[in-house]
Amino acid sequence: MVDRFCIIEPKRRVFLECVVLQEMRVSRSLEVWKMGTINYLDALRLQEQLVSNRKAHKIPDTLLSLQHPPTYTLGKRRTDHNLLIPESDLKKMGAELHYTQRGGDITFHGPHQAILYPIISLRDIGLGARNYVEKLELTMIELASLYGVKACAGQAGETGVWVGERKIGAIGVRISFGITSHGLAFNIDPDLNYFKHIVPCGIANKEVTSLRKETDLVLPAEEVVHEQLISCFARQFGYSNLLWKENGLIS
Amino acid sequence: MASRLLWASRAASYLRISVFHRGFSSVLKDLKYADSHEWVKVEGNSAIVGITDHAQDHLGDVVYVELPEVGAPVEQGSGFGAVESVKATSDINSPVSGKILEVNEELSSSPGLVNSSPYEKGWIIKVEVSDSGELKNLMEADQYSKFCEEEDAKH
Repeated sequence: MVDRFCIIEPKRRVFLECVVLQEMRVSRSLEVWKMGTINYLDALRLQEQLVSNRKAHKIPDTLLSLQHPPTYTLGKRRTDHNLLIPESDLKKMGAELHYTQRGGDITFHGPHQAILYPIISLRDIGLGARNYVEKLELTMIELASLYGVKACAGQAGETGVWVGERKIGAIGVRISFGITSHGLAFNIDPDLNYFKHIVPCGIANKEVTSLRKETDLVLPAEEVVHEQLISCFARQFGYSNLLWKENGLIS
Repeated sequence: MASRLLWASRAASYLRISVFHRGFSSVLKDLKYADSHEWVKVEGNSAIVGITDHAQDHLGDVVYVELPEVGAPVEQGSGFGAVESVKATSDINSPVSGKILEVNEELSSSPGLVNSSPYEKGWIIKVEVSDSGELKNLMEADQYSKFCEEEDAKH
């Protein structure tokens, strides 16, 4: 930004124009898609297209905000020994199972769990995987703190967000050509019984919890919590300009 | 501000005074480097490929390496495998085109070698190079060092 101001010399009426160069602050834009509830495979296909578009510089950094119907997912390491019941039983309870290319172990996604899938270029902001994941953790920690819940990042090898020994937020990410996909899942108030059928994130003997269980405050409508999560993300990653898109579809 | 640090370090190197670098990653002189942070050591018709010290530092502790099949083709700039760290899988891209001669099986049981010895024991694949002309698309050690500094200065 350039500041100009004029000095008028009284006697001679000479205008002096002074140009002051201020430090350039690049305004970083994030396009936010509020998707509502979307099937896992549809979201995966959308992400693949967005990653490809982001890599080709056709779109800006994009954030998908959504929920899934009951869905179990596995990461690249295919740790299906952490699924404690047969796949046919999952189908009977109306849940799907998907194998993915993301990092991380087995997890559950379902109603009342807020999911963010950032499709952003880490190279453009000079972040590596470790720093990126730390910021995702901080995003959820900040959201929890809005409700008086003291959450923290996991210890080594236990990436995610914890309240004491109970896990409130999970992370599983894929980075391809420096572009991210998949992301984080924060438990607002999901049915925690679904987690009984897995060893969540491959970590035995640790409970899963939710914002509802941990806070004393009355929770607002979930849409509000989703928007707060988006704001926390934008703040952590330094996005000053948010472009909102509701129920975005691939064109 | 990070950009001021970059300016200061450039000014310092012009004036030939040493500057303290906050996060110094090692870069080896006789290797070539891709902008996706892989290195390649050319030995006649074949080449050894791995990821750089800068890459392993930014990834965190590697817990899994997805290795390709021996005999599979690779293409410069295209993915051939992946590493997992901190719940993130990151694709590894080949700096050269050709055919895979050998993969470092030790990484299956000891993926941490990528962190502890990125240029030696943590090598990932050996490739029969099909087009040595492509090497000119890669960076030399000095260029790569600068590239890393510039990338780190972005946030």
